[in-house]
Amino acid sequence: MEGCKRDKVEVNHLCKSFGDLEVLKDCSFRIKDGDFVCVVGPTGCGKTTFLNLLTCLTEPTSGEILLDGERADPRKHNIAFVFQEASAFPWLTVEQNLRFGLEIKKKPKEYIDEQVNRIMKLMGLEAYRDSFPGELSVSTEQKVVIGRAFAMSPDLLLMDEPYGQMDVKVRFYLEDEVIRLWKELGSTVVFITHNTEEAVYLAEKVLVLSQKPTGVKDTVEVNLPRPRDIYSEEFIAIRNRITDEIKWW
Amino acid sequence: MKKQNKYYHIMLGIFPVISIGCFIALWYFVAAYTDYRIPNLTQVWERFLVTLEKPIAKKSIFEHAGISLLRVVKALACSIILGIPLGLLMGWNKTFRGIVRPIFEAIRPIPPIAWIPLITMWFGIGELPKIIIIFLGTFVPIVVNSYTGVAMVPRLNTDAGKIFGADGRKLLTDIVLPTAFPSIFAGIRTAIGTGWVVMLAAEMISAKSGLGFLVIRGQDVSDYPLILLAMIFIGVIGAALSFIFNRIERWICPWMEK
Repeated sequence: MEGCKRDKVEVNHLCKSFGDLEVLKDCSFRIKDGDFVCVVGPTGCGKTTFLNLLTCLTEPTSGEILLDGERADPRKHNIAFVFQEASAFPWLTVEQNLRFGLEIKKKPKEYIDEQVNRIMKLMGLEAYRDSFPGELSVSTEQKVVIGRAFAMSPDLLLMDEPYGQMDVKVRFYLEDEVIRLWKELGSTVVFITHNTEEAVYLAEKVLVLSQKPTGVKDTVEVNLPRPRDIYSEEFIAIRNRITDEIKWW
Repeated sequence: MKKQNKYYHIMLGIFPVISIGCFIALWYFVAAYTDYRIPNLTQVWERFLVTLEKPIAKKSIFEHAGISLLRVVKALACSIILGIPLGLLMGWNKTFRGIVRPIFEAIRPIPPIAWIPLITMWFGIGELPKIIIIFLGTFVPIVVNSYTGVAMVPRLNTDAGKIFGADGRKLLTDIVLPTAFPSIFAGIRTAIGTGWVVMLAAEMISAKSGLGFLVIRGQDVSDYPLILLAMIFIGVIGAALSFIFNRIERWICPWMEK
């Protein structure tokens, strides 16, 4: 089955420097269509820069990022992003937030209605349809942001430590939500985290980044059944392997 | 707990009545027992009744208040129409900011009242110069806050918009403008206060109508109840303007009260 999947994202010899500071050095990797990839690395290794390059918010110094064989461009491709901080637009209701990206992309109204209702139902947000983000808890707001991203049926969904500021209970709950949405909608997801347990719990493949200047140190396949048991021997073995690889001390 | 909350809300409703009651009691005390020659509430009320029978400069006090209010509203409308786009452009376009900001920054610290001699020389003493002077007072806070609102838009919001494919005008109308709304409204709120103050100053110098004119007329003929009556009108209309504006703000920006 794996062999049938085509390459969704192709990153070739990606480099990024800020003045004399070399942040990324010769990063190359491929992500298959519909994959859930987690990216882990030591603190401060440039994970966010890496993601900003994928979203084209930052221009690379050299190298290229191809999406479906073409240079990645947010105007052409359907890219969605979930930031570390909850980034729901405070002036829009939950429903309007979910519609936002689809309306920017000028999708037909019937499609937008259908897609938004589907996401609302999947994420249990119907009760908050007309609420403003300021009225919601941080975790519910982050659910809106995740729902907004999935509503786009994105070619590529990038998530930058979206649960970094949440407690363990909420994090487990939202991790399951993301897996549910991903399975349901079949999007390609790149999820950045510093939490190796989270990475092994979520990913089909984990990219391990090295210290600065950052490169891809290893790619770890996670072929464990879902829902994953974080106490199983296999799970712990993979987690320990990744943890050892990102150790810098 | 709910019962406690209910009582607290009732108390919150009563507090303003208590504070106004205390203020009137203090006024009564100062008027009755000190030598400051402050007219008491009864004298002011009687003066109000007289103004209804005997208009001042052929106008009732309500007409004077209406004239003042109209001047402020006209100046404020011009400031909103011209000031918001100017502030947004200054915040949004670096070239435009580079050209306009130095001139604006040079003019900004000049108090509107300082313009009175020049404005009078250029436009005479009719309605227009008064509105221009008030406009100078209301224009500045609206421009400054609109500009600041755009300049302070969190990068997170613009990045989120860009990733969805919003750029140029779409980014301005769908992301920057709503994010800047609270700041723009704060500017308008400041402008209302400033406009009301500048209006009085403009009317006290060269006017034959308006609340500022009544204050000066009262001073000229030592009619202190008239001065206080005009001051009460100024206070009440100012508070009413603020209240109405808050309602409009809530209507346009419903998320701000949540």
